[in-house]
Amino acid sequence: MGYVAVTAGEEIIERAEDLFEKQRTSGEDEDIGIDQLDSQLGRVIGQAMSEAGLYAPRLAALAVKQAQGDTVEAAFLLRAYRSTLERFDDPVTADPGEMITTRRVSPAFKDVPGDQLLGPTKDYTQRLLDFDLLSGDPDDPTADWDPDDAGEPERLTNVMDLLRAENLVPDPDPPTDDDPTDTTRESVTHPPDRDAVLQELARGETGAVTALGYSALRGYGQVHPTLAEVRVGDLPVRITHPYTDEPATVCHATVTESEAVVPVFEKRDDPQFAFGYGLTFGRNERKAVGMTILDASIQLDGSDEPAEDAEFVLDTIDGMESFGFIEHLKLPHYVTFQSILDRIRAIRERNGLSSGGRVARAERDDVDSPREPPVAEVSDDD
Amino acid sequence: MTEDITEAGPAAVEDDRDGGTPVPTDSVSVALDTVQGDGLAGYNYAYLDEHTKREVRRAMLKAVAIPGHQVPYASRPMPLARGWGTGGIQASLSILGPDDRFKVIDQGADESVNAANIRRLAERTAAVETTTDSTAADVIQTRHRIPEEVLTDDQILVLQVPITDPLRKIDGSDAANRRRHAHANYGKMWVHLYENVVEYGEINIAAAYPVMVAGRYLMSPSPIPRWDTEKLDDADHLSILAAGREARIYAVPPHTDVDPLAFEDREFTVERFPDQACHACGSSDTFLVEVSETAGPEADDGTDDESGTDDAAFETRYACNDTSFCAKRRETPDLPKDHHLDRSGVDWGPATPDHGDGEPRDDLDSEAGASQRGDST
Repeated sequence: MGYVAVTAGEEIIERAEDLFEKQRTSGEDEDIGIDQLDSQLGRVIGQAMSEAGLYAPRLAALAVKQAQGDTVEAAFLLRAYRSTLERFDDPVTADPGEMITTRRVSPAFKDVPGDQLLGPTKDYTQRLLDFDLLSGDPDDPTADWDPDDAGEPERLTNVMDLLRAENLVPDPDPPTDDDPTDTTRESVTHPPDRDAVLQELARGETGAVTALGYSALRGYGQVHPTLAEVRVGDLPVRITHPYTDEPATVCHATVTESEAVVPVFEKRDDPQFAFGYGLTFGRNERKAVGMTILDASIQLDGSDEPAEDAEFVLDTIDGMESFGFIEHLKLPHYVTFQSILDRIRAIRERNGLSSGGRVARAERDDVDSPREPPVAEVSDDD
Repeated sequence: MTEDITEAGPAAVEDDRDGGTPVPTDSVSVALDTVQGDGLAGYNYAYLDEHTKREVRRAMLKAVAIPGHQVPYASRPMPLARGWGTGGIQASLSILGPDDRFKVIDQGADESVNAANIRRLAERTAAVETTTDSTAADVIQTRHRIPEEVLTDDQILVLQVPITDPLRKIDGSDAANRRRHAHANYGKMWVHLYENVVEYGEINIAAAYPVMVAGRYLMSPSPIPRWDTEKLDDADHLSILAAGREARIYAVPPHTDVDPLAFEDREFTVERFPDQACHACGSSDTFLVEVSETAGPEADDGTDDESGTDDAAFETRYACNDTSFCAKRRETPDLPKDHHLDRSGVDWGPATPDHGDGEPRDDLDSEAGASQRGDST
C-alpha cells in the first residue's frame, strides 16, 4: 500500500517508543532513581501532581522519569492511571488553618498574627548559576544551625479572617449543595459553579495559569490584587474511619495556598473588597497566585476581558487538553484537506482564476489584476 | 512495580475485629487483585472501570433518545492524548465485549499509526478480535470517514469528534450555543451560510458540514467529507459521535433524517473528482485523495530545482481513501458497495445507484459530483 503516506502497524509504533526510551537510557550515566527525583526535583514532582490532580509523589516521580522531564506528559500519565481506579471515599473537608506552615508571607500587612515566616524561598537570592553544584556536593548548608525547639506549630490566624471580621471582605457564597462538584466525574457546563472553577484552576497547567493571570495584571482585566497571604506547608488529609467514624489522618499533602483582596467594590452603599483564592499541590507559589487572580477575575463575571470569562479560562487552562489538541495537528488530515482543496478550487473556478480545479503555471503568472483578499476561512477541520 | 508504589496508600484495616465481617479494605492493591481477568494485567477489562463504562453507555442511550443532541458525560483521561480519539475509544470500549470484532480507521486507512495505536489499546485491554474488513466488524471506530461499503443494522459506527458544536464557528460561547440548541434557534447559522454565498458565490464549508438531525437539532457530523455526509441519512446502522476533550456524546440512530443545510439555489454539493479514478483499483465512485509523487524514475529529489514543486518534478495522482475497500476492488474491480447485502442498489451516498437523482456510477465525473437531496426526506 505504497500510496498511504503514513502506514504502520504495531511494530513501527513499538520501535518509535523504543527510540524515545533510548534517548533517556543511551547515555553513560547512572539511571536516575525515583527517590532522587522525588527529593531533589520536588518542584517538578509537585507541578506534575498539581496538574494531574493526584497527590502521589512516588507515582509522580515515576511519571516524570518516564516522560523525560515533561511535566504535562507526566501529569497526563498520572491522570490516565488515576482514571482507571475506583474511587472509594471522599476525604473530610480539609481546613487550611491546620496547615503545618513552612513559609508564610503577608504582603498586605507588615505585622500579622503569627508573624511573617520567610522560610525556604529563592525570592531574594541573586539568580547566579552556582557552579559548585556541578560537582554535586550534597552538603546540608543548615547543618550547623541550632534552632530552638519551638514546640508544636501554632495555628496561624488567617489574614482574610481579620478583614472579614471588619466586614471589609464578604463571605464566599455558601455552596449550593453539600457534595462538591467533581469535574473529573461530571463534565463542566457553563456557567460553572465556583467549586468547579476552583478545581479546574487547581489542575490547570502552570504556564497557562500564570499567563492568563498575568494578562489580567497586564491590562486585560481589572484585577490587581493585594495578597492577604501566601502559605506553603503540609496539610493533613483525613478520611472518616470506616469502623470508628472518627476522622483519621492518612497523609500530609504539601500545598501552596494564596488569598487576595481586590479593590473592586461590589456595592456602592456598603463597599467591600472582591477576593480570590488559590490552592495547589506542591510548592508552586506562581501557580497559586495566578489561580488567585483568575478566581477573583472570574467572580467579577465580566465578558470583555479574557481572564474574566469563565468559559475562556476553563476552556484553555487545562494542559492535557491543550497539549492533545495542539499535538493532534500532526495526525494525517488527508481527507479533510482534500475536502478543503475542493472548496478553494471551486471558488477559484467560479472567480475565473482557474479551470479544471488546478491553476496552470502560465495562467497564474498572467493574473495582474489586484489580488482579492485571501480566503479567510479555510479550515473548519479539527 | 505499580503495586509496590500504590501499597503506600491507607493501611489495610484489620478485619478480625470481634463481630465484624471481613470487608475489602481500602488498599489499592486489593482492588487491583479483584480485577484480574481478560485484558491488561492491573487494569479492568476494557481499561475503564465498570461504573464509567456504564455511565458512557447511559450517555449514549440518552443521545439515541434525542438524536443530534449533545449529551455531556464525564470524559475520563485515557492513555491516548486528548484530541487523538479519546472520545471514540471511550465509546468503543464501553460497548465492546469479548466476542466483538473491532475495526479502527483514521482518515480512511486502517494502517495509519494512530489507528494502529487505538486498535492496539483495544486488543490489549479488551482482548477483542480486530479486522480491517468493514463488513466483518461489529464496531467501527473512525476518524473522519464513513466506509465506502454499506453499513448494516448490526453494526455501530463510532465517529471521533474534535469540535462538537457546529455553532462554535459563529459564537465561541458554549453557554450561548446551548441556549440556541434549546430553542432550535439556528438563524445565525443560516446567516453565516448566506454570507458565505455572498462572499464566495457558494457555501465554503469543506468537511464537518452542518446537518439538521430529525428536523430538530443542528449537528456537526464530525469532520467527515461532504461525500460521506448523506450516508448518515436514513442509515441502517447506529452512529455514535463521541468527543473526549469536549466531553460530549451524540448520536444518529438508524433511519433518522439527516439533512445538510443548504439553500434552494445553492444546493449541497459533495467533493468533485472530475475525470479522476483511483490509480490503484480504477474506482471512480469512491472518495479519492491526491498523492503527489515524484515523476518518472530519473527524477531527482528536486534539490537543484529552484521552484521545488515544479509541475515537471511531481505528478499528482488520485487514490482511494478507503484502503480496505480499495484492496477489495483490486481483487474484484466492479465490486458494488453493497456486495455483502442480500439486496442491491442500496443508497449509500454519492455515486450509489439509488442515491439522489439516481445518477449511474459510471458517469459521475460528468456532473461534477453534484448531489441533490433525494426523495428520502
